[in-house]
Amino acid sequence: MAAYLIRRLGYGLMTVLGVLLLLFVLFFTVTDPDDIARKAVGERARPEVYAQWKKNHGYDRPLLVNRAYAASDRRRYTDTLLFDHYRRMLSFDFGNSDADDSSISRRLKEGMGPSLSLTVPLFVFGLVLGVLLALFVAFFRETYIDRAALVVCMLTMSIAGLLYIISGQYLIGMLLKWFPISGFAFEPWLAARFLALPLLVGIVSGMGADVRLYRTIFVEEINRDYVRTARAKGCGEARVMLAHVLRNALIPILTNIVITIPFLFTGALLLESFFGIPGLGSLTVEAIHGNDFSTLRTMVYLGALLFIAGQILTDISYALADPRVRLS
Amino acid sequence: MSGAVGRRGIMIGLVVLALAGCSNDPYPSADGNKKILYTSFSEAPKTLDPAVAYTTASHLITGNVYDTLLEYHFLKRPYQLIAALAERVPAPEPHADGGVSYRFQIRDGIAFQDDPCFALSQGAGRSRKVVAADFAFELARLADPAVNSPLAGSFAPVLGFSQFAERLTALRQADAAVANLPANVQYARAGGIAGVIAHGERELEIVLSEAKPQLLYFFAMPFTTPVPWEAVAYYDGRDGREHFADHPVGTGPYRLASYDKQYRMVLERNDAWYGRHALDAAPGSQFPGEIDAEDIASRAIDAGYAGRRLPFLERIVFVREREDIPRFNKFLQGYYDEGHIVKESFDAVVQNDSLSPQMAARGMRLDKTVEPSIFYIGFNMDDPVVGAAAGERGRKLRQAMSLVIDSKAYLELFLNARGVPAQSPLPPGLFGYDRDYRNPYRQPDLARAQKLMAEAGYRNGIDPANGAPLKLSFDTPNTTAQALLQYQFYVAAWRQLGLDVEINASTYNQFQAKVRRGAYQLFTWGWIADFPDPENFFFLLECSNAQSKSGGPNTANFCQPQFDRLYQEMKSLPNDAHRADLIRRMLALLEAERPWIELFHNEEYALSHAWVVNAKPMGLSYPTYKYMDVKPELRAQLQAEWNVPLRWPLYLALILMVAVTLPAVRTFYRERQ
Repeated sequence: MAAYLIRRLGYGLMTVLGVLLLLFVLFFTVTDPDDIARKAVGERARPEVYAQWKKNHGYDRPLLVNRAYAASDRRRYTDTLLFDHYRRMLSFDFGNSDADDSSISRRLKEGMGPSLSLTVPLFVFGLVLGVLLALFVAFFRETYIDRAALVVCMLTMSIAGLLYIISGQYLIGMLLKWFPISGFAFEPWLAARFLALPLLVGIVSGMGADVRLYRTIFVEEINRDYVRTARAKGCGEARVMLAHVLRNALIPILTNIVITIPFLFTGALLLESFFGIPGLGSLTVEAIHGNDFSTLRTMVYLGALLFIAGQILTDISYALADPRVRLS
Repeated sequence: MSGAVGRRGIMIGLVVLALAGCSNDPYPSADGNKKILYTSFSEAPKTLDPAVAYTTASHLITGNVYDTLLEYHFLKRPYQLIAALAERVPAPEPHADGGVSYRFQIRDGIAFQDDPCFALSQGAGRSRKVVAADFAFELARLADPAVNSPLAGSFAPVLGFSQFAERLTALRQADAAVANLPANVQYARAGGIAGVIAHGERELEIVLSEAKPQLLYFFAMPFTTPVPWEAVAYYDGRDGREHFADHPVGTGPYRLASYDKQYRMVLERNDAWYGRHALDAAPGSQFPGEIDAEDIASRAIDAGYAGRRLPFLERIVFVREREDIPRFNKFLQGYYDEGHIVKESFDAVVQNDSLSPQMAARGMRLDKTVEPSIFYIGFNMDDPVVGAAAGERGRKLRQAMSLVIDSKAYLELFLNARGVPAQSPLPPGLFGYDRDYRNPYRQPDLARAQKLMAEAGYRNGIDPANGAPLKLSFDTPNTTAQALLQYQFYVAAWRQLGLDVEINASTYNQFQAKVRRGAYQLFTWGWIADFPDPENFFFLLECSNAQSKSGGPNTANFCQPQFDRLYQEMKSLPNDAHRADLIRRMLALLEAERPWIELFHNEEYALSHAWVVNAKPMGLSYPTYKYMDVKPELRAQLQAEWNVPLRWPLYLALILMVAVTLPAVRTFYRERQ
């Protein structure tokens, strides 16, 4: 297990280094420091203001090789944008936002709470409801409920996420007037009122794919011999489904869910943006719109780290859920 | 079975109860009857440092927290400067060497809002009186390269401004420890700006090396507000203290009570504001007395407010709304007091150029304001085909191309007619704008344009050099599909003349690079004025500002000696008949030369609810909240009427769910038995 973990971490580190290189190349291919400066300072400023801004933010350095230093001087390679990029990311010194000079670490801390207050309930309720509905549909397999549920699942999967958001806000916020259309509050009880609608929209939009996947897994399990044995022993249907089928279907379900857990920290981009939740998803969307390179690279980097962490967690959870799996 | 049914019943009951208590009201009910204005912002302020803040989002806060020596009259058009923290608008005092002085007499009794930063100078005191040195300190900050003010270049005519920056830089380079001293100490060591002189506590003299009357407009912007050195020194971002860029300390009618730019910003009335206590009738502290009858008739202004002391609102709450649609929907529900129209709902809100009957029935108001802006297509006058070198031939080509662009049709097609077709660079509301003026080359006339093409030697658009349609390139700084569609509109218009115009869409930076290289023929561009003076538009066509000569903002590279002479004379004159005559002559030159095809002046449509009073927008990027008021009782009543929750769909959904599920459950159990 330890050797496996070390090997996986090694692969993970190489992937991270690759991601950082790709990130650097992509950013400086599609944009340049002048563009970042223009966005930050405004289009009306004079060239010397842009130059000063670039100097203040370290963007006045060359990309790869600083020819201001002699070939033997290591600063020729360390006083460059590429080296600084790696140094900052690997030491978790994310620096300040290009857009407003605020500390990125502080904004991550501030945004984490609102993001988690949306993504954790979304994850928990979505999972529980998805599994229960899938069990229900699998229980009534090959009946009109099953067929109707599959049609509804396909329909919900075919609709774009943005449409759920806009129509959810219109239907529930505007027409039915049950919840505020958007907004947020840091007080838990007040926050619940604002989070109800994005939660509902998020759960409904993701439910189709989840129910369909889990139903397939459950139906496969239901047809296995051990289920027939359980019934022959006199187990009730509820016990068969919850104690036997659900437990044995956990591995593929875990594959689906464990990998998503780390992403709870990076927030939900569209939901947060449309529902006015000041979380990390909103921060990312804003960084994209505002050419805020330093914030965006931090979010992409954290996303990559979390993805790798999710994969390792998935592998570990396999072993925990199924003793037959050995990580060798 | 009965237990399960019971549990289900309880759950359904809980859901029903939860929903029964639900409401879409996003605000605490305790605030319902307070004079609070609820509004939204989409883009977070980058900074609240008045020396740097240059965006509308920042101005929402800095424009209310920081007062200025001068300000614009709320209602008068053309825009007029009035005294604010100054006792009067200063007159220029010419010097023998060509320089000019402006002496600002500062009102007595102006104090900064309470703040812990004043412990640095006042001991236990939490505020102090504003003195002339506070204005001088802020002007020094504008010059300071470390502050990096975008307006530093505009203050170059202030005597010794750039020399001060150079001395300051040299001082910091000579001794690294200097940079750690408080900014006011550093500035004192650098010797201050020669042309910024504080005569005692209440007189500030600004000496310019040359006449530049437009500089007065900058004293109506927060860039020149008094800033206490204590605030800059105290809010340094260390030991848990905020940065000055996030913690404004001003003298304005409001103070920043809460600032989370990702979520919500709250301004509270500043009870120490000079306007609430001044014994005399300071112009910036009371509602204007002269109100246009048209504004009263249209309910833009309530005449009953004339002469009353400002401000009226207790609090202004800005809620972050990143997306247009939820913002507009919340405005329709009455949860935002003011709003803007989203294009998806334009036809539902505006019909026949005014509010739709549905919206009017809700008591809503629509205010249209033409921004001091101009959007135009420019010709590169250095180009041998379309520019000055082509002589009369090029001039006629430009005139013909100008004659086929129908700005009105463009506005209707792409901008819901939100704009005024431009006849000249000058927008409405500025001195020199003539509403009856019709540019003969901006009235669409295909036949006349074709005749001009023939006179230019391009009959039916054919270039006699090669017998093919004349090929031109049109460079644009926008690559979006929507923008390309809009550019196609122009190309289709020119195609009527037989011209083959190719769109070269590029990113902003690529476009800038092309401009620097001079590699363009036609381009599209826009300008929003910093201040409402014709000089702020005509300088875009002055020769010394030509891109090819100085890298300046005259991207058309238009150089016409007569125009330049008129410009030089016009720019330093007061708004009088002579100046108006010079402007007319300049416009006549532009009319014939056609370095630009003037397209339109942007028009802003602002919506407000029946309970909002004095919502007339300024047009310039100046917040007018100190003039606004709300009627909270009417708001509460209408919000309640508009937002009664509909609960029957929930009951229906529950019944349907049971009705669909129950037969399946019964069938299943029957089969198993």
